[in-house]
Amino acid sequence: MREPDTVPAAPERRVGPLTRTDFVRYAGAGGDFNPIHHDETFARAAGYPSVFGHGLLTAGILGGYAASWLGRRNLRRFNVRYVGQVWPGDTLVFSGEVLRTETGPDGSVEVEVGLAVHSEADGREPRLVLRGGATAAYPAPATEGSRS
Amino acid sequence: MTDRSHLIGHTYTPYTFPVEHGKVREFAGAVKDDDPVYRDVEAARAAGYAHLPVPPTFSAVTSHWAVRDTDVLGLDLRRVLAGGSEWEYLGDVVAGEWMTVRSRIADVQYKTGSRGPMTLVITEYDFVNQHEETVLRLRSTVIELGEQ
Repeated sequence: MREPDTVPAAPERRVGPLTRTDFVRYAGAGGDFNPIHHDETFARAAGYPSVFGHGLLTAGILGGYAASWLGRRNLRRFNVRYVGQVWPGDTLVFSGEVLRTETGPDGSVEVEVGLAVHSEADGREPRLVLRGGATAAYPAPATEGSRS
Repeated sequence: MTDRSHLIGHTYTPYTFPVEHGKVREFAGAVKDDDPVYRDVEAARAAGYAHLPVPPTFSAVTSHWAVRDTDVLGLDLRRVLAGGSEWEYLGDVVAGEWMTVRSRIADVQYKTGSRGPMTLVITEYDFVNQHEETVLRLRSTVIELGEQ
């Protein structure tokens, strides 16, 4: 008999469209004032069509998504790899899937998941902007049942 | 490309910062996390925390506190991209605590990707609380693209 899943299927979450104000708000909260994220003149001179969001802004929203899906207290590791830029006007689409579930001899369970953030904008195909992963740990049930 | 291999092992000046109630709330808002534990002390206590816990990527705020050492990396901001990060959660971090951050350059790598030659600088950060417990580890990669 198949054991019940430790974590439910990943919800889909959409955030956006993101604005320049969202980038500035993150710059202030996080303390990253690289002008490429808020100064249009600087960004264009560097060869970009406009300012773009901090990788850590997308990672931060994804961290919240992972914590609410897997349980904030269960999160042991969280990683992100930036694949593409997030532009003003983009809507972020968050998704995840369970890659591995391992039950330890004491009944505790470790779950490894893959995470992805796609960016959608009018007239463009959704683009992968961030790939990530997380590991969550779940203690054994407090009451010892008749496990076999 | 500038050779930065000699920087491997470079240790930054450690610094200590307070985990502030208002900053936790501001950061959670900036990453669009509406979990009440990040703004309501009663909700945090009901969830088992001594005070507001911090969002998964809250370590980003340390850039407000980092000691501005001599810029040993000398990166050209117009060509710099965030590569990715990995967080390892070892214990609770809540508002009212003090964190000491010890960081070092763990590796410098040279690669050639779809955007030409690039330099990867990997920095590791240990977050140690006032009880000398390491509660968080962070490993972060910054990319500098080659000159056009």
